[in-house]
Amino acid sequence: MPREIALGDALIPGLLVLFVLALLVLWLLDGLAGRLGFYRLVWHPPLFRFAVFVCVFGAFALFLH
Amino acid sequence: MSATRLSTPAPAVSSVIADTLREQASTWLFVAKTLLAFFVTGWIAMRLALPAPSTAMLTTIIVANRQAGMVLAKSFYRALGTLAGAVAGVTIVAMFPQQRDLFLVSLSLWIGLCAGGATLYRNFKSYAFVLGGYTAAIIAIPVIDNPPAVFDSATARISEVLLGLLVSGVVSDVVFPSRMRDVLRRTAREQFAHFVGFVRDSVGGAIPRDSMERAHLRFVRAAVALEDLRSSVIFEDAEARSRSNHLRLFNQRFMAASTSFQSLHHLINRLERARRDAAAQALIRLYAPLGEALDAPIEAGAAARVLLPRLTMARDAMHANATRLRAGLDGEQDLRDFDTGASLLHRFAAELHDYVDAAAMLQAPHVIGGAAERVRFDRSNDFLGAGIATIRTTLTMLVLGAYWIESAWPSGASAMLLATVFAGLFATTPNPTRVTWYVTLGYIGGMLAGFVCEFFVLTQLDGYGLLVIGVAPFLAVGLVMMMSPRYASHGLGWAMGFAYILALKNGQTYDPAHFINDAVAQAVGLGAAAMSFVVIPPAIGSVWLRRRQLARLRAQVALAAEAPLPGLRHRFESVNHDLFSQVVAQTEPGSADSRSLIAWALAVHETGRALIELRHDMAQQEIPATLRPHLEASLRTLARFYERPDAQGYLLARDAVATAIAGVGEHTGMASLLEHLHLIRMALLDGESVLAAYMPDTPLSEEIAHAP
Repeated sequence: MPREIALGDALIPGLLVLFVLALLVLWLLDGLAGRLGFYRLVWHPPLFRFAVFVCVFGAFALFLH
Repeated sequence: MSATRLSTPAPAVSSVIADTLREQASTWLFVAKTLLAFFVTGWIAMRLALPAPSTAMLTTIIVANRQAGMVLAKSFYRALGTLAGAVAGVTIVAMFPQQRDLFLVSLSLWIGLCAGGATLYRNFKSYAFVLGGYTAAIIAIPVIDNPPAVFDSATARISEVLLGLLVSGVVSDVVFPSRMRDVLRRTAREQFAHFVGFVRDSVGGAIPRDSMERAHLRFVRAAVALEDLRSSVIFEDAEARSRSNHLRLFNQRFMAASTSFQSLHHLINRLERARRDAAAQALIRLYAPLGEALDAPIEAGAAARVLLPRLTMARDAMHANATRLRAGLDGEQDLRDFDTGASLLHRFAAELHDYVDAAAMLQAPHVIGGAAERVRFDRSNDFLGAGIATIRTTLTMLVLGAYWIESAWPSGASAMLLATVFAGLFATTPNPTRVTWYVTLGYIGGMLAGFVCEFFVLTQLDGYGLLVIGVAPFLAVGLVMMMSPRYASHGLGWAMGFAYILALKNGQTYDPAHFINDAVAQAVGLGAAAMSFVVIPPAIGSVWLRRRQLARLRAQVALAAEAPLPGLRHRFESVNHDLFSQVVAQTEPGSADSRSLIAWALAVHETGRALIELRHDMAQQEIPATLRPHLEASLRTLARFYERPDAQGYLLARDAVATAIAGVGEHTGMASLLEHLHLIRMALLDGESVLAAYMPDTPLSEEIAHAP
């Protein structure tokens, strides 16, 4: 994956695109977990959510490596 | 509840201290979290070498709130507004890079339109509009001498704001979050318990009219508060989001049930006043099983579910009793009154059952099925008020812009920016003149503190760690003020003025002359915003707007009589509640205005619902061609009378309804229509309602009052 992406001749960092994608994935996972009542099993849901995001974003960032 | 409060002895000193500490702890937690977000944002922005770290830091102050859900909701809309504003800013600069007049006019117009749009919404959606307006100004004005830089200006602004939002979102959500979900759950529980308790306690029969009015006020507030909470909590909590539709359904059913409940009690009250005790007593006896069914402890865990079978049994008992009680009555009038009341009671029992069912679904540990009926909470908007906000903001911008051009004032841009921001931010508050004045005071205080901090403290320090220590105490003053109800506006002004004038960046400049020039310009901008609110007063809270809102509330009857039927019940209820709560928020409790408003709201509610039910029944069965014109005439005259109440319209409506009743009475199999019409007629003839003012002075003889 290229480090920078030209969007209408404006260079956009690939990391930003991945960030937005990771947010989307997080939103999906979050909705799913909420629907299944998964957050009841977790001590600190926001912290958990944040950690999931870090994992997802970190995994995505490997594409740039 | 009040009795227990009265009987408790004065709280012990230790509990007072504990309460104070708890309150203080939440204030200081807020201050610590906001400071944390502020400095983390600043640090990241400086590491990333963004051009204006202070913008990102200011963002964290603007969205700061005790509740995590509020921060996330506000952040979401702020992000939307910023993106829209950036697009608008770039477009405006691209269109008029050379013509400053056209540039200023189009910018003013955009900002004005956004300010107008903001008044159309409550909660944070209005904030997105405000942001859309002033972000365009923030992006476009600084590059007015160098238009090609607008794209960089836009990307910088977006990155700074989004960075600030991201950090404060994470900090407020992760670090000792104060969850709004609990408030929502408590509100929903309280609403349920209050309503069920109220219904249970009023089985005895007559409720005095003023306690009815108070109850109505409470029900409306509860419904609107629940909807407002719901719209913020969905940002905070995935589980609440997945139940969002259930919650809306719960609220809609609550509104429907409370309306029927009130109609029922007005009916019983009227019967008792007219000394028609036989019918009234029969209705009260018919009602009794419902009260017994609800007489179960509702505080316990899976409470609502327990009530469901009891309610079903009560409804069966009511059906069984109805025939028996009806047999005990004689006289055509008594029978008809009883039939009207009984059908209303059955409607209420069905709605109550639905409401309890929705509550049970909400309390269930897992979301049952995804397919909750989709319902919306419709709001009522006044486009004229929005127009006034548009004109005011546009004019303020134009005047300042003209002054800027004529005087060639070097700091004109600053003044213009500040005026934009504040004219937009406070256009939606009920008393913007006072709020802007408080914020201005706080802002000037913050700028003075900023002067001391920048030239006496920061000049002595080196490195980010020391900067944090040097800045935090000054900022904390404003944040603490923000948490006290009395000084909240001052505090917001203080924190914003301090953070904005300090303009922290990587290569901090220490230039007192520039600092003072900027401070003066910002004060002028704020003053201009405050002036604009004095010159063109906002519509919100004025007598004129209140009258318009009252007229719109009455026009709800016309909506009920004439709007397309699908979804009308929900639409009628939610718009009614929204309008009513808007006006209530803007009138003094107990004043003449407020009393007449509540009286009207009750009449509109009752008649409107009865009209909708009537139309539903009309749509379901074949209406003979001879009858239809009568029914339509009564719908039409009622709509016209409520739109423009006068004595003549009243007579027309009353006679039309009487004719329709007579017409329906000649056909068989139209009992339900007759009951609805009878209910409407009794509401029209209620001598204690607001309609009494339009009744002819001559007392009605018995046969007119109960014309066949």
